[in-house]
Amino acid sequence: MLLEVLLALVLGAVVLLVLRRSKAAVLKTEDGWWGAGSPPAGAEDESIRPFQVETSREEIEDLQRRIDQTRPVPSLEDSQFNYGFNSTYLQKVAAYWRNEFDWSKQVDKLNQYPHFKTKIEGIDVHYVHVKPKNLPEGRTAVPLIMVHGWPGSFYEFYGILPLLTEPANADDVAFEVICPSIPGYGFSEAPRKKGFNSVCAARVFLKLMRRLGFGRFYAQGGDWGWQITTNMAQLDPTAVKGLHINFAPVENVGPLLILSILLGRRFPGLFGFTELDVKRLYPRVEKMLVEPLKETGYFHIQATKPDTAGRGLNDSPVGLAAYILEKFSTWTDHEFRNLEDGGLERKFSLEDLLTNVMIYWTTGSITSSMRFYKENFAKGFYPPHARIPVTVPTGVAAFPNELMHTPKLWAKQKNHKLKTYTTMARGGHFAAMEEPGLMAQDIQKFIKVVEGKK
Amino acid sequence: DAFSENLPTKALQELDRPKLQLLALSSVGIGLTYFLVWRRKAKKSIPLGDGWWGHGQQTLRDDNKIYPFKVETSEDEINDLHRRIDQMRYTEPLEDCGFQYGFNSNYLQKVVSYWRNQFDWKKQVAKLNEYPHFKTNIEGLDVHFVHVRAPHRPGQKVLPLMLVHGWPGSFFEFYKILPLLTDTKDDLAFEVICPSIPGYGFSEAPHKQGFCSLDAARIFLKLMERLGFNKFYLQGGDWGSLITTNMAQMKPQCVSGLHLNMLAVTKGGVGMLLSLIIGPYLPFLVGFTREDVRRLFPYFEKNVYDLLMESGYMHIQGTKPDTAGCGLNDSPVGLAAYILEKFSTWTDRKNRDLEDGDLEKKYSLDDLLTNVMIYWTTRSIIPSMRFYKENFKTNPQNRVDARTGIFVPMGHAAFPNELMHCPLPWARWRFKDIRSYSYMPRGGHFAAFEEPRLLAEDFVKFVRKVEGKKR
Repeated sequence: MLLEVLLALVLGAVVLLVLRRSKAAVLKTEDGWWGAGSPPAGAEDESIRPFQVETSREEIEDLQRRIDQTRPVPSLEDSQFNYGFNSTYLQKVAAYWRNEFDWSKQVDKLNQYPHFKTKIEGIDVHYVHVKPKNLPEGRTAVPLIMVHGWPGSFYEFYGILPLLTEPANADDVAFEVICPSIPGYGFSEAPRKKGFNSVCAARVFLKLMRRLGFGRFYAQGGDWGWQITTNMAQLDPTAVKGLHINFAPVENVGPLLILSILLGRRFPGLFGFTELDVKRLYPRVEKMLVEPLKETGYFHIQATKPDTAGRGLNDSPVGLAAYILEKFSTWTDHEFRNLEDGGLERKFSLEDLLTNVMIYWTTGSITSSMRFYKENFAKGFYPPHARIPVTVPTGVAAFPNELMHTPKLWAKQKNHKLKTYTTMARGGHFAAMEEPGLMAQDIQKFIKVVEGKK
Repeated sequence: DAFSENLPTKALQELDRPKLQLLALSSVGIGLTYFLVWRRKAKKSIPLGDGWWGHGQQTLRDDNKIYPFKVETSEDEINDLHRRIDQMRYTEPLEDCGFQYGFNSNYLQKVVSYWRNQFDWKKQVAKLNEYPHFKTNIEGLDVHFVHVRAPHRPGQKVLPLMLVHGWPGSFFEFYKILPLLTDTKDDLAFEVICPSIPGYGFSEAPHKQGFCSLDAARIFLKLMERLGFNKFYLQGGDWGSLITTNMAQMKPQCVSGLHLNMLAVTKGGVGMLLSLIIGPYLPFLVGFTREDVRRLFPYFEKNVYDLLMESGYMHIQGTKPDTAGCGLNDSPVGLAAYILEKFSTWTDRKNRDLEDGDLEKKYSLDDLLTNVMIYWTTRSIIPSMRFYKENFKTNPQNRVDARTGIFVPMGHAAFPNELMHCPLPWARWRFKDIRSYSYMPRGGHFAAFEEPRLLAEDFVKFVRKVEGKKR
């Protein structure tokens, strides 16, 4: 047995060395156009228009009418959140939404930061642009783009924005933050043509940053935001000064990864596995197969039939809320599946949760948001960008309840300049919204390492 | 000495060599026969079990009465439907996507417009009531069924038959095949029972967790018993295929024959792998016909890739049914898109490339929407989805029914556009008494709905084979 292990290790090391040398490729992409019909003759309108989120009496009354028309179906006895969103608790959420939630007030809250829209590749891209108000003399704000995921939105960052733009600590870096909406999500127009995947979104966001005058900037993301910011770093490594991610799933299964999965439990030290790593990865079949299978039904249907999956959700606000908020419960802590209220209000306020849902509801963007899954898996699980490493300085914040756990060794396979890897104290998938303080701290730590080196 | 005084040994000592050999052989023979018979007997059925699915604790015993039932509607119901259809919030489809992203929004507008302005639910309800409906309480649930008797014709043998539907279908899928089975002009006719699976349509949904196909099978066996049938035929596809198979496994003595239009291959193993590797090149070596090869290969594309493309609904329903069905229960348009997408794609996978999914090629909008209305008016989309989760709770490969064979006479109608093809050698792993296996010329997953005549013909052919052998 030992001989085989040694042989495998030697072979693996040789393979790795050989492969690593040749993997300095840069991700290539072509231009795109996503509007209706054919692109018009002449140059694109590159103006940046200020944008205000608005609502109306009709919009609110329509919502309330639809909530009143909900036809609830009781959950099975003692099933909590194991069959999906619990019906009893859903009625409570719906009642709050109907009677107490104040959308006008939330719209004002959304508008506290300046919003803009600009046309890129034929579609209107929406973003929030937040500059620090009280910058000391001689200091410049560091530009940072933060990209959301599904079923989130730019609104997830509203808790962390003040911590990044007005840091309490004088030592901390002050950021100028751009929070765009992925095309097809919220206030960004949805692509009309097939094929808009994360590389296209990355290209669009690179153009956005360039248009705003940022030659070099930092990028932060989780969920799809991780994929898009990673692609940005792969497309233009000179523009992305540093990449901070809170989600880092493995895309490329190499010999070292397999070896670590096979032997990691018995020899954690060999692979740098911490106690948390071992706890989250083993037992193998349960943690790497059964659990992901239990939680990826939405992924499967959205990656194959998004238009069907989203159809009913665009007419039923309560259905939409159940679909979206189930994730905010389960992806914050898997244990929440055994609670009748899904533990939803332990880490989030109903007001914030429903504001995020309203962004999907008022813009009717649930179906286009789901299409992103299909576009990204059109060419299978192994697109070109999965094989290309990230060569810009990277920081990983590993939250203990994240959907997929990535030990430092695995993160290093993809991110060749891993500068910081932090095992966070607490938090799940929606890290920026759930633990803004911890996240901001880690971003500062990462920046200091990168800037300090310079 | 003591040894030779032992009587049996003394008797043995008195036998000559040929007789000893005969004795030895026959002992071995008897032992072997006993062993084989005992083994066969031991694995011939699966336990019935029991259950109770009503609210709270079981208090009263089952009320065994059978109550007539009529489908009803009201102005309120129809107005509410119309109001919700009018409130649909359209989403533009991508350019040139056909049905590849799911139900095409542009074609959906046309379907919805028909549903709003021309579909006559009152007329369809009258059509549903053309056959007598009943309800009876079993294991705490009201079980709905349609009971169609054959008109009495002299010299005609009438055999009892139960037809079981699947998802997203209903008893209504059998309305076209019913007259072909009950109202025949020759010597054979059927008395048909079409139940609704608990949680589907007019059958009450279970209130407790764990209601899987084994429980549905047991409840349907109790139903047949209550109706006075102690021997009957079974026919089914989709969930109906699994439920009727379970019924045949639970009480094989009650099942004259089992006819299935869909066979799920659960037990893979080395045999399957070998046949997949050798099959394309030397099909006859592994028992494949040319037609099998045509339908199975390229294997990866047709069976793995295609299944992955089409099983998203199964994955989400098998894990989060309450979430998946929630919006569909408020939005009739959403419900229609979700259900009718299957009637398009599972009838012919090529329909994915067409803007209208070729939905109306084999079905009328009236029939399709009547099936949708059964889910809509009974609010049963969520319970119907829960059935998936309940059946996948225990690894399906390890469940008692997956490990047990089926010994009743079986017939399979293999439709060319069915979701998966099961060649005869694979079917033989579990079904030990296959009497008929037919390659149907055309048709997909919803066989009874799409090709009622073809299915009826094959079913009758199978029954004649079984009845013929009996005599």
